[in-house]
Amino acid sequence: MTTKNNFIFNQKKPWDDNSNTIWLASTISLQRNIEKFKFPGKLNAESKSQIVSLISKHLLKISGLTDPILIKAEDIGPLEKEFLAEHLLTSQNYNQTNVGEGFIVDSTGEFTALLNIQDHIRLQLIDCKGELENTWSRLVKIESNLGKHLNYSFLPTYGFLTADPYTCGTALIGSIYLQLPGLIHTGKIDEILDKYQDEAISISGIQGSPTEIIGDVLLIQNNYTLGFTEENIISLLRSFTTKLIVEEKSARTKIKKESNIEVKDKISRAFGILIHSYQLEAVEALNALSLLKLGLDLGWITGIDNQKINEIFFNCRRAHLLSQIQDNVTQEEVPHKRSETLHKALQSIQLTV
Amino acid sequence: MIEHPEEHNQDEKTPPPERPLECGECKKPISVLYTSIIGGTMTQTTMCADCPELQRRLFSGHVHQITTSHTDSTTVLACGNCGTTLDALRVGTPLGCSTCYEVFNDVLIGELLAAKRIPPRITPNKKSIPIHIGRSPGESIEMNPSLRLLALNEALNETIKSEDYEQAAWLRDQIKALTENPEKADDDKK
Repeated sequence: MTTKNNFIFNQKKPWDDNSNTIWLASTISLQRNIEKFKFPGKLNAESKSQIVSLISKHLLKISGLTDPILIKAEDIGPLEKEFLAEHLLTSQNYNQTNVGEGFIVDSTGEFTALLNIQDHIRLQLIDCKGELENTWSRLVKIESNLGKHLNYSFLPTYGFLTADPYTCGTALIGSIYLQLPGLIHTGKIDEILDKYQDEAISISGIQGSPTEIIGDVLLIQNNYTLGFTEENIISLLRSFTTKLIVEEKSARTKIKKESNIEVKDKISRAFGILIHSYQLEAVEALNALSLLKLGLDLGWITGIDNQKINEIFFNCRRAHLLSQIQDNVTQEEVPHKRSETLHKALQSIQLTV
Repeated sequence: MIEHPEEHNQDEKTPPPERPLECGECKKPISVLYTSIIGGTMTQTTMCADCPELQRRLFSGHVHQITTSHTDSTTVLACGNCGTTLDALRVGTPLGCSTCYEVFNDVLIGELLAAKRIPPRITPNKKSIPIHIGRSPGESIEMNPSLRLLALNEALNETIKSEDYEQAAWLRDQIKALTENPEKADDDKK
Protein backbone atom coordinates (compact mmCIF):
# COMPACT_ATOMS: atom_id res chain seq x y z
CA MET A 1 0.00 0.00 0.00
CA THR A 2 2.70 2.48 0.89
CA THR A 3 4.55 1.88 -2.35
CA LYS A 4 1.39 2.70 -4.24
CA ASN A 5 0.95 5.88 -2.24
CA ASN A 6 4.46 6.85 -3.10
CA PHE A 7 3.80 6.03 -6.72
CA ILE A 8 0.80 8.33 -6.75
CA PHE A 9 2.50 11.17 -4.92
CA ASN A 10 5.72 10.86 -6.87
CA GLN A 11 4.12 10.55 -10.27
CA LYS A 12 5.70 12.95 -12.67
CA LYS A 13 3.58 16.10 -12.80
CA PRO A 14 2.59 16.93 -16.37
CA TRP A 15 2.93 20.64 -15.56
CA ASP A 16 6.51 20.45 -14.33
CA ASP A 17 8.01 21.88 -17.49
CA ASN A 18 5.11 24.04 -18.53
CA SER A 19 6.12 27.61 -19.28
CA ASN A 20 2.97 28.69 -21.09
CA THR A 21 1.45 31.98 -20.11
CA ILE A 22 -2.11 31.37 -21.28
CA TRP A 23 -2.60 27.71 -22.21
CA LEU A 24 -2.46 26.13 -18.77
CA ALA A 25 -3.38 22.56 -19.60
CA SER A 26 -5.68 20.36 -21.61
CA THR A 27 -7.09 16.90 -21.19
CA ILE A 28 -8.71 14.57 -23.67
CA SER A 29 -10.80 11.67 -22.56
CA LEU A 30 -12.59 8.79 -24.22
CA GLN A 31 -15.27 6.82 -22.40
CA ARG A 32 -15.89 3.21 -23.27
CA ASN A 33 -17.98 0.34 -22.00
CA ILE A 34 -17.46 -3.31 -22.68
CA GLU A 35 -20.03 -5.15 -24.74
CA LYS A 36 -22.45 -7.53 -23.01
CA PHE A 37 -21.74 -6.21 -19.51
CA LYS A 38 -24.15 -3.87 -17.79
CA PHE A 39 -22.80 -0.40 -17.04
CA PRO A 40 -21.02 -0.02 -13.66
CA GLY A 41 -24.04 1.51 -11.91
CA LYS A 42 -25.92 -1.77 -12.30
CA LEU A 43 -23.11 -4.12 -11.33
CA ASN A 44 -22.24 -5.52 -7.93
CA ALA A 45 -18.76 -5.24 -6.50
CA GLU A 46 -17.85 -8.75 -7.60
CA SER A 47 -18.68 -8.24 -11.27
CA LYS A 48 -16.99 -4.88 -11.19
CA SER A 49 -13.82 -6.47 -9.82
CA GLN A 50 -13.93 -8.97 -12.68
CA ILE A 51 -14.14 -6.13 -15.18
CA VAL A 52 -11.21 -4.37 -13.49
CA SER A 53 -9.12 -7.54 -13.87
CA LEU A 54 -10.24 -7.99 -17.46
CA ILE A 55 -9.39 -4.44 -18.48
CA SER A 56 -6.13 -4.22 -16.59
CA LYS A 57 -4.96 -7.56 -17.97
CA HIS A 58 -4.91 -5.97 -21.42
CA LEU A 59 -4.36 -2.31 -20.67
CA LEU A 60 -1.25 -2.87 -18.56
CA LYS A 61 0.43 -4.47 -21.59
CA ILE A 62 -0.59 -1.92 -24.20
CA SER A 63 2.18 -0.22 -26.10
CA GLY A 64 2.36 3.52 -25.67
CA LEU A 65 2.21 3.48 -21.88
CA THR A 66 5.24 3.79 -19.61
CA ASP A 67 5.23 1.43 -16.62
CA PRO A 68 1.47 1.48 -16.06
CA ILE A 69 0.22 0.38 -12.67
CA LEU A 70 -3.22 -0.57 -11.37
CA ILE A 71 -4.41 1.20 -8.24
CA LYS A 72 -7.52 -0.29 -6.72
CA ALA A 73 -9.82 2.24 -5.09
CA GLU A 74 -10.07 0.16 -1.90
CA ASP A 75 -6.29 0.18 -1.48
CA ILE A 76 -5.88 3.93 -1.18
CA GLY A 77 -7.05 6.51 1.32
CA PRO A 78 -9.01 9.75 0.93
CA LEU A 79 -5.92 11.92 0.52
CA GLU A 80 -4.68 9.80 -2.39
CA LYS A 81 -8.11 9.96 -4.01
CA GLU A 82 -8.21 13.71 -3.64
CA PHE A 83 -4.70 13.88 -5.03
CA LEU A 84 -5.74 11.87 -8.08
CA ALA A 85 -8.76 14.11 -8.69
CA GLU A 86 -6.49 17.17 -8.53
CA HIS A 87 -3.95 15.46 -10.72
CA LEU A 88 -6.59 14.74 -13.35
CA LEU A 89 -7.72 18.38 -13.19
CA THR A 90 -11.27 17.20 -12.65
CA SER A 91 -14.03 18.58 -10.48
CA GLN A 92 -15.20 15.01 -9.93
CA ASN A 93 -14.80 13.56 -6.49
CA TYR A 94 -13.41 10.06 -6.07
CA ASN A 95 -13.96 9.79 -2.33
CA GLN A 96 -16.86 7.38 -2.76
CA THR A 97 -14.92 5.01 -4.98
CA ASN A 98 -14.61 1.55 -3.52
CA VAL A 99 -14.19 -2.15 -4.25
CA GLY A 100 -14.44 -2.89 -7.96
CA GLU A 101 -13.33 0.56 -8.99
CA GLY A 102 -9.86 1.81 -9.66
CA PHE A 103 -7.31 3.71 -11.64
CA ILE A 104 -4.51 2.81 -14.02
CA VAL A 105 -1.81 5.45 -14.13
CA ASP A 106 1.57 5.44 -15.80
CA SER A 107 4.83 6.99 -14.73
CA THR A 108 4.67 9.87 -17.22
CA GLY A 109 1.83 11.26 -15.14
CA GLU A 110 -0.02 12.02 -18.36
CA PHE A 111 -2.09 8.89 -18.76
CA THR A 112 -4.94 7.71 -16.55
CA ALA A 113 -7.69 5.18 -17.00
CA LEU A 114 -10.63 5.34 -14.63
CA LEU A 115 -12.15 1.93 -14.18
CA ASN A 116 -15.84 1.49 -13.35
CA ILE A 117 -16.26 5.11 -12.41
CA GLN A 118 -19.41 6.00 -14.37
CA ASP A 119 -18.27 3.89 -17.29
CA HIS A 120 -16.17 0.75 -17.47
CA ILE A 121 -13.26 2.68 -18.90
CA ARG A 122 -12.42 6.32 -19.19
CA LEU A 123 -9.07 6.86 -20.87
CA GLN A 124 -7.51 10.25 -20.38
CA LEU A 125 -4.35 12.07 -21.37
CA ILE A 126 -3.19 15.33 -19.85
CA ASP A 127 -1.14 17.69 -21.94
CA CYS A 128 0.38 20.97 -20.82
CA LYS A 129 2.19 21.89 -23.99
CA GLY A 130 -0.80 22.89 -26.06
CA GLU A 131 -0.50 19.93 -28.40
CA LEU A 132 -4.15 19.05 -28.58
CA GLU A 133 -4.03 17.20 -31.90
CA ASN A 134 -1.07 15.01 -30.99
CA THR A 135 -2.57 14.17 -27.62
CA TRP A 136 -5.81 13.15 -29.24
CA SER A 137 -4.06 10.96 -31.76
CA ARG A 138 -2.00 9.30 -29.00
CA LEU A 139 -5.15 8.59 -27.02
CA VAL A 140 -6.91 7.14 -30.05
CA LYS A 141 -3.96 4.77 -30.53
CA ILE A 142 -4.25 3.53 -26.97
CA GLU A 143 -8.00 3.16 -27.38
CA SER A 144 -7.68 1.23 -30.64
CA ASN A 145 -5.00 -1.02 -29.21
CA LEU A 146 -7.18 -1.86 -26.26
CA GLY A 147 -10.09 -2.36 -28.65
CA LYS A 148 -8.20 -5.26 -30.24
CA HIS A 149 -8.68 -7.18 -27.00
CA LEU A 150 -12.05 -5.91 -25.81
CA ASN A 151 -15.28 -5.25 -27.71
CA TYR A 152 -16.72 -1.84 -26.93
CA SER A 153 -20.46 -1.24 -26.61
CA PHE A 154 -21.49 0.44 -29.81
CA LEU A 155 -24.63 1.18 -31.82
CA PRO A 156 -24.54 2.79 -35.27
CA THR A 157 -27.18 5.29 -34.14
CA TYR A 158 -25.62 6.31 -30.86
CA GLY A 159 -21.97 5.57 -31.46
CA PHE A 160 -20.00 4.46 -28.43
CA LEU A 161 -22.44 3.93 -25.59
CA THR A 162 -21.88 5.58 -22.24
CA ALA A 163 -23.84 5.46 -19.00
CA ASP A 164 -24.59 9.15 -19.36
CA PRO A 165 -26.53 9.49 -22.62
CA TYR A 166 -25.19 13.03 -23.01
CA THR A 167 -21.72 11.72 -23.74
CA CYS A 168 -22.50 8.91 -26.21
CA GLY A 169 -21.36 9.12 -29.83
CA THR A 170 -17.66 9.79 -29.99
CA ALA A 171 -17.67 9.77 -26.16
CA LEU A 172 -14.78 12.19 -26.46
CA ILE A 173 -14.45 15.18 -24.17
CA GLY A 174 -11.72 17.71 -24.80
CA SER A 175 -11.08 20.11 -21.94
CA ILE A 176 -8.82 23.10 -22.28
CA TYR A 177 -7.82 25.28 -19.38
CA LEU A 178 -7.00 28.80 -20.44
CA GLN A 179 -5.76 31.42 -18.02
CA LEU A 180 -7.18 34.77 -19.09
CA PRO A 181 -6.39 37.38 -16.41
CA GLY A 182 -5.93 40.12 -19.01
CA LEU A 183 -9.50 39.82 -20.27
CA ILE A 184 -10.98 39.12 -16.85
CA HIS A 185 -9.39 42.00 -14.94
CA THR A 186 -10.18 44.55 -17.61
CA GLY A 187 -13.79 43.40 -17.66
CA LYS A 188 -13.67 42.46 -21.32
CA ILE A 189 -14.25 38.77 -20.89
CA ASP A 190 -18.07 38.76 -21.22
CA GLU A 191 -17.95 40.83 -24.38
CA ILE A 192 -15.38 38.48 -25.91
CA LEU A 193 -17.26 35.34 -24.94
CA ASP A 194 -20.45 36.79 -26.43
CA LYS A 195 -18.60 37.64 -29.61
CA TYR A 196 -17.36 34.09 -30.12
CA GLN A 197 -20.34 32.30 -28.61
CA ASP A 198 -20.77 28.86 -30.09
CA GLU A 199 -23.38 26.33 -29.05
CA ALA A 200 -20.91 23.53 -29.65
CA ILE A 201 -18.65 24.85 -26.88
CA SER A 202 -19.33 24.96 -23.18
CA ILE A 203 -17.42 27.26 -20.84
CA SER A 204 -17.14 27.04 -17.09
CA GLY A 205 -14.78 27.60 -14.18
CA ILE A 206 -12.34 24.92 -13.00
CA GLN A 207 -14.78 23.62 -10.42
CA GLY A 208 -17.43 23.15 -13.10
CA SER A 209 -19.46 26.19 -12.11
CA PRO A 210 -20.13 28.66 -14.93
CA THR A 211 -20.20 31.68 -12.59
CA GLU A 212 -17.30 30.90 -10.30
CA ILE A 213 -14.00 31.58 -12.02
CA ILE A 214 -10.98 30.49 -9.97
CA GLY A 215 -7.44 31.57 -10.80
CA ASP A 216 -8.76 33.33 -13.93
CA VAL A 217 -8.97 29.90 -15.55
CA LEU A 218 -11.73 29.12 -18.00
CA LEU A 219 -12.50 25.51 -18.78
CA ILE A 220 -13.46 25.10 -22.42
CA GLN A 221 -15.11 21.85 -23.45
CA ASN A 222 -17.02 20.46 -26.40
CA ASN A 223 -20.75 20.40 -25.88
CA TYR A 224 -21.54 17.77 -28.51
CA THR A 225 -20.28 14.23 -28.52
CA LEU A 226 -23.01 12.94 -30.82
CA GLY A 227 -23.28 14.07 -34.41
CA PHE A 228 -19.76 15.49 -34.42
CA THR A 229 -16.66 13.58 -35.47
CA GLU A 230 -13.66 13.52 -33.18
CA GLU A 231 -11.77 15.54 -35.74
CA ASN A 232 -14.54 18.18 -35.75
CA ILE A 233 -14.42 18.41 -31.98
CA ILE A 234 -10.67 18.85 -31.84
CA SER A 235 -10.52 21.43 -34.60
CA LEU A 236 -13.44 23.32 -33.10
CA LEU A 237 -11.69 23.47 -29.73
CA ARG A 238 -8.47 24.51 -31.39
CA SER A 239 -9.98 27.35 -33.36
CA PHE A 240 -12.08 28.58 -30.44
CA THR A 241 -9.15 28.64 -28.04
CA THR A 242 -6.84 30.24 -30.61
CA LYS A 243 -9.28 33.14 -30.88
CA LEU A 244 -9.42 33.54 -27.10
CA ILE A 245 -5.64 33.40 -26.82
CA VAL A 246 -5.29 36.13 -29.43
CA GLU A 247 -7.81 38.30 -27.56
CA GLU A 248 -6.00 37.70 -24.27
CA LYS A 249 -2.66 38.58 -25.79
CA SER A 250 -4.01 41.76 -27.26
CA ALA A 251 -5.69 42.66 -23.92
CA ARG A 252 -2.29 42.25 -22.24
CA THR A 253 -0.56 44.41 -24.81
CA LYS A 254 -3.16 47.07 -24.16
CA ILE A 255 -2.74 46.87 -20.38
CA LYS A 256 0.97 47.31 -20.78
CA LYS A 257 0.69 50.14 -23.27
CA GLU A 258 -1.80 52.05 -21.17
CA SER A 259 0.06 51.12 -18.00
CA ASN A 260 -3.38 50.23 -16.59
CA ILE A 261 -3.53 51.45 -12.97
CA GLU A 262 -6.31 49.11 -11.90
CA VAL A 263 -4.39 46.08 -13.06
CA LYS A 264 -1.18 47.36 -11.49
CA ASP A 265 -3.02 47.70 -8.22
CA LYS A 266 -4.45 44.19 -8.46
CA ILE A 267 -1.05 42.70 -9.20
CA SER A 268 0.54 44.59 -6.31
CA ARG A 269 -2.15 43.37 -3.93
CA ALA A 270 -1.74 39.82 -5.17
CA PHE A 271 1.98 40.17 -4.51
CA GLY A 272 1.22 41.33 -0.97
CA ILE A 273 -1.16 38.47 -0.30
CA LEU A 274 1.27 35.85 -1.53
CA ILE A 275 4.23 37.23 0.40
CA HIS A 276 2.67 38.51 3.58
CA SER A 277 -0.39 36.46 4.48
CA TYR A 278 -0.37 34.07 7.39
CA GLN A 279 -3.24 31.93 6.11
CA LEU A 280 -4.21 31.34 2.51
CA GLU A 281 -7.18 29.41 1.17
CA ALA A 282 -6.65 27.64 -2.16
CA VAL A 283 -9.00 29.86 -4.15
CA GLU A 284 -7.37 33.03 -2.88
CA ALA A 285 -3.92 31.65 -3.60
CA LEU A 286 -4.84 30.60 -7.15
CA ASN A 287 -6.37 34.01 -7.87
CA ALA A 288 -3.27 35.79 -6.60
CA LEU A 289 -0.94 33.47 -8.50
CA SER A 290 -2.76 34.20 -11.73
CA LEU A 291 -2.24 37.93 -11.21
CA LEU A 292 1.39 37.31 -10.33
CA LYS A 293 1.82 35.47 -13.61
CA LEU A 294 0.16 38.31 -15.46
CA GLY A 295 2.56 40.70 -13.71
CA LEU A 296 5.49 38.61 -14.83
CA ASP A 297 4.28 38.64 -18.43
CA LEU A 298 3.87 42.42 -18.32
CA GLY A 299 7.29 42.92 -16.78
CA TRP A 300 5.97 44.18 -13.44
CA ILE A 301 7.12 41.14 -11.48
CA THR A 302 10.66 39.77 -11.64
CA GLY A 303 12.69 37.07 -9.96
CA ILE A 304 10.64 34.07 -11.14
CA ASP A 305 9.64 32.36 -14.39
CA ASN A 306 6.33 31.08 -15.77
CA GLN A 307 7.31 27.49 -15.32
CA LYS A 308 7.80 27.99 -11.61
CA ILE A 309 4.52 29.86 -11.15
CA ASN A 310 2.61 27.19 -13.08
CA GLU A 311 4.19 24.54 -10.90
CA ILE A 312 3.18 26.40 -7.73
CA PHE A 313 -0.29 26.99 -9.15
CA PHE A 314 -0.95 23.28 -9.45
CA ASN A 315 0.94 22.21 -6.37
CA CYS A 316 -0.71 24.52 -3.85
CA ARG A 317 -4.03 22.71 -4.11
CA ARG A 318 -4.88 20.87 -0.90
CA ALA A 319 -3.90 17.29 -1.59
CA HIS A 320 -0.83 18.25 -3.58
CA LEU A 321 0.21 20.58 -0.79
CA LEU A 322 -0.28 17.95 1.89
CA SER A 323 1.64 15.35 -0.10
CA GLN A 324 4.72 17.59 0.06
CA ILE A 325 4.55 18.05 3.82
CA GLN A 326 5.96 15.25 5.91
CA ASP A 327 4.43 15.93 9.32
CA ASN A 328 0.76 15.55 10.16
CA VAL A 329 -1.27 18.65 9.50
CA THR A 330 -4.78 19.21 10.84
CA GLN A 331 -7.46 20.62 8.62
CA GLU A 332 -7.21 24.00 10.39
CA GLU A 333 -3.49 24.27 9.77
CA VAL A 334 -3.69 23.78 6.00
CA PRO A 335 -4.16 27.48 5.07
CA HIS A 336 -1.15 28.39 7.20
CA LYS A 337 0.96 25.64 5.67
CA ARG A 338 -0.03 26.88 2.25
CA SER A 339 1.15 30.39 3.15
CA GLU A 340 4.41 29.02 4.46
CA THR A 341 5.02 26.96 1.34
CA LEU A 342 4.23 29.90 -0.92
CA HIS A 343 6.49 32.27 1.02
CA LYS A 344 9.33 29.86 0.58
CA ALA A 345 8.67 29.23 -3.10
CA LEU A 346 8.22 32.90 -3.93
CA GLN A 347 10.90 34.43 -1.76
CA SER A 348 12.89 35.74 -4.71
CA ILE A 349 10.08 37.62 -6.45
CA GLN A 350 10.10 41.39 -6.71
CA LEU A 351 7.47 43.92 -7.59
CA THR A 352 8.68 46.55 -10.04
CA VAL A 353 5.47 48.46 -10.70
CA MET B 1 -18.29 62.51 -14.81
CA ILE B 2 -15.41 61.67 -12.55
CA GLU B 3 -17.39 59.01 -10.82
CA HIS B 4 -18.47 57.39 -13.99
CA PRO B 5 -15.63 54.88 -14.40
CA GLU B 6 -16.06 53.73 -10.84
CA GLU B 7 -19.70 53.02 -11.33
CA HIS B 8 -18.87 51.11 -14.42
CA ASN B 9 -16.49 48.93 -12.46
CA GLN B 10 -19.03 48.12 -9.84
CA ASP B 11 -21.43 47.04 -12.52
CA GLU B 12 -19.00 44.49 -13.73
CA LYS B 13 -18.71 43.02 -10.32
CA THR B 14 -22.41 42.45 -9.78
CA PRO B 15 -22.89 39.22 -7.90
CA PRO B 16 -24.37 36.26 -9.75
CA PRO B 17 -28.16 36.46 -10.01
CA GLU B 18 -30.24 35.09 -7.16
CA ARG B 19 -30.69 31.38 -7.18
CA PRO B 20 -33.83 30.68 -9.18
CA LEU B 21 -36.60 28.33 -8.14
CA GLU B 22 -35.61 24.83 -8.95
CA CYS B 23 -37.48 21.81 -10.16
CA GLY B 24 -37.65 19.24 -7.39
CA GLU B 25 -36.78 16.49 -9.84
CA CYS B 26 -33.99 17.80 -12.04
CA LYS B 27 -32.80 21.00 -10.28
CA LYS B 28 -33.17 23.13 -13.40
CA PRO B 29 -34.68 26.60 -12.91
CA ILE B 30 -38.47 26.68 -13.20
CA SER B 31 -39.81 28.66 -16.10
CA VAL B 32 -43.21 27.13 -16.94
CA LEU B 33 -46.39 26.97 -14.90
CA TYR B 34 -48.62 24.27 -16.34
CA THR B 35 -52.26 24.35 -15.31
CA SER B 36 -54.59 21.56 -16.22
CA ILE B 37 -58.29 21.43 -15.47
CA ILE B 38 -59.82 18.02 -15.68
CA GLY B 39 -63.43 17.79 -14.57
CA GLY B 40 -63.70 19.78 -11.38
CA THR B 41 -60.08 19.56 -10.29
CA MET B 42 -57.36 21.96 -11.22
CA THR B 43 -53.73 20.95 -10.93
CA GLN B 44 -50.77 23.22 -11.36
CA THR B 45 -47.27 21.98 -12.11
CA THR B 46 -44.09 24.00 -12.35
CA MET B 47 -41.26 22.87 -14.57
CA CYS B 48 -38.45 24.07 -16.76
CA ALA B 49 -38.97 24.78 -20.44
CA ASP B 50 -37.22 21.61 -21.55
CA CYS B 51 -38.90 19.31 -19.05
CA PRO B 52 -39.71 15.96 -20.63
CA GLU B 53 -43.00 16.05 -18.77
CA LEU B 54 -43.92 19.27 -20.57
CA GLN B 55 -42.96 17.73 -23.91
CA ARG B 56 -45.19 14.82 -23.09
CA ARG B 57 -48.16 16.99 -22.19
CA LEU B 58 -47.82 19.30 -25.15
CA PHE B 59 -46.91 16.88 -27.86
CA SER B 60 -48.42 13.66 -26.69
CA GLY B 61 -47.13 11.32 -29.38
CA HIS B 62 -45.51 7.96 -28.88
CA VAL B 63 -44.09 9.06 -25.56
CA HIS B 64 -47.64 9.56 -24.40
CA GLN B 65 -48.46 5.91 -24.87
CA ILE B 66 -45.53 4.86 -22.77
CA THR B 67 -46.37 7.08 -19.87
CA THR B 68 -50.11 6.52 -19.94
CA SER B 69 -49.37 2.89 -19.46
CA HIS B 70 -47.42 3.74 -16.36
CA THR B 71 -50.02 6.08 -14.94
CA ASP B 72 -52.16 2.97 -14.75
CA SER B 73 -49.71 2.35 -11.92
CA THR B 74 -49.27 -1.29 -12.81
CA THR B 75 -46.88 -1.26 -15.75
CA VAL B 76 -43.74 0.81 -15.97
CA LEU B 77 -41.51 0.99 -18.99
CA ALA B 78 -38.22 -0.52 -17.97
CA CYS B 79 -35.20 -2.04 -19.62
CA GLY B 80 -35.56 -5.81 -19.61
CA ASN B 81 -31.83 -6.34 -19.30
CA CYS B 82 -30.90 -4.11 -16.38
CA GLY B 83 -34.15 -2.87 -14.88
CA THR B 84 -33.58 0.85 -15.44
CA THR B 85 -37.01 2.50 -15.55
CA LEU B 86 -38.21 5.38 -17.66
CA ASP B 87 -38.81 7.44 -14.52
CA ALA B 88 -35.25 6.89 -13.37
CA LEU B 89 -33.99 7.98 -16.77
CA ARG B 90 -36.10 11.14 -16.65
CA VAL B 91 -34.59 12.30 -13.38
CA GLY B 92 -31.10 11.89 -14.76
CA THR B 93 -30.07 8.48 -13.47
CA PRO B 94 -27.34 7.06 -15.71
CA LEU B 95 -28.37 4.33 -18.11
CA GLY B 96 -27.79 0.78 -16.92
CA CYS B 97 -26.66 -1.05 -20.05
CA SER B 98 -26.41 -0.93 -23.84
CA THR B 99 -29.92 -2.32 -24.22
CA CYS B 100 -31.30 0.82 -22.55
CA TYR B 101 -30.35 2.76 -25.66
CA GLU B 102 -32.64 0.61 -27.76
CA VAL B 103 -35.45 0.40 -25.22
CA PHE B 104 -35.60 4.13 -24.58
CA ASN B 105 -34.65 5.18 -28.10
CA ASP B 106 -37.52 7.64 -28.64
CA VAL B 107 -37.27 9.18 -25.21
CA LEU B 108 -33.51 9.56 -25.46
CA ILE B 109 -33.64 11.40 -28.76
CA GLY B 110 -36.20 13.77 -27.22
CA GLU B 111 -34.03 14.29 -24.16
CA LEU B 112 -30.89 14.89 -26.20
CA LEU B 113 -32.69 17.39 -28.40
CA ALA B 114 -34.21 19.17 -25.41
CA ALA B 115 -30.82 19.39 -23.71
CA LYS B 116 -29.28 20.69 -26.96
CA ARG B 117 -26.80 17.84 -27.10
CA ILE B 118 -27.37 17.12 -30.77
CA PRO B 119 -26.11 19.71 -33.27
CA PRO B 120 -29.07 21.56 -34.83
CA ARG B 121 -28.02 20.57 -38.33
CA ILE B 122 -28.92 17.01 -37.45
CA THR B 123 -32.56 16.60 -36.62
CA PRO B 124 -33.31 12.96 -36.09
CA ASN B 125 -36.93 12.72 -37.18
CA LYS B 126 -36.90 9.08 -38.09
CA LYS B 127 -36.02 6.54 -35.49
CA SER B 128 -33.50 4.62 -37.50
CA ILE B 129 -31.42 7.53 -38.75
CA PRO B 130 -27.88 7.22 -37.46
CA ILE B 131 -26.91 10.32 -35.51
CA HIS B 132 -23.40 9.22 -34.74
CA ILE B 133 -20.79 10.44 -37.19
CA GLY B 134 -17.24 9.25 -36.97
CA ARG B 135 -15.28 6.27 -35.92
CA SER B 136 -16.68 2.81 -35.23
CA PRO B 137 -14.83 0.31 -33.04
CA GLY B 138 -11.69 -0.98 -34.68
CA GLU B 139 -11.32 2.00 -36.94
CA SER B 140 -8.46 4.32 -36.34
CA ILE B 141 -7.87 7.59 -38.07
CA GLU B 142 -4.69 9.36 -38.79
CA MET B 143 -4.57 12.90 -37.63
CA ASN B 144 -4.79 15.42 -40.37
CA PRO B 145 -1.82 17.73 -39.84
CA SER B 146 -3.63 20.68 -41.39
CA LEU B 147 -6.20 20.81 -38.56
CA ARG B 148 -4.20 23.25 -36.55
CA LEU B 149 -3.21 25.31 -39.56
CA LEU B 150 -6.86 25.84 -40.40
CA ALA B 151 -7.53 27.17 -36.91
CA LEU B 152 -4.53 29.45 -37.05
CA ASN B 153 -5.51 30.79 -40.44
CA GLU B 154 -9.02 31.44 -39.26
CA ALA B 155 -7.71 33.39 -36.27
CA LEU B 156 -5.29 35.23 -38.55
CA ASN B 157 -8.14 36.43 -40.75
CA GLU B 158 -9.98 37.70 -37.68
CA THR B 159 -6.99 39.68 -36.46
CA ILE B 160 -6.40 41.21 -39.86
CA LYS B 161 -10.06 42.18 -40.03
CA SER B 162 -9.78 43.89 -36.67
CA GLU B 163 -6.42 45.38 -37.66
CA ASP B 164 -4.57 43.81 -34.75
CA TYR B 165 -1.28 43.42 -36.57
CA GLU B 166 0.76 42.51 -33.56
CA GLN B 167 -1.29 39.36 -32.93
CA ALA B 168 -1.42 38.70 -36.66
CA ALA B 169 2.36 38.60 -36.68
CA TRP B 170 2.37 36.17 -33.77
CA LEU B 171 -0.07 33.90 -35.60
CA ARG B 172 1.98 34.12 -38.79
CA ASP B 173 5.07 33.01 -36.89
CA GLN B 174 3.20 29.98 -35.64
CA ILE B 175 1.90 29.10 -39.07
CA LYS B 176 5.40 29.42 -40.40
CA ALA B 177 6.78 27.17 -37.69
CA LEU B 178 4.17 24.53 -38.47
CA THR B 179 4.63 24.61 -42.21
CA GLU B 180 8.40 24.56 -42.05
CA ASN B 181 8.58 21.78 -39.53
CA PRO B 182 5.26 19.96 -39.46
CA GLU B 183 6.59 17.11 -37.35
CA LYS B 184 7.36 19.26 -34.40
CA ALA B 185 4.43 21.36 -33.28
CA ASP B 186 6.05 24.47 -31.88
CA ASP B 187 6.85 24.66 -28.21
CA ASP B 188 6.52 28.35 -27.71
CA LYS B 189 2.77 28.15 -28.07
CA LYS B 190 1.53 30.42 -25.34
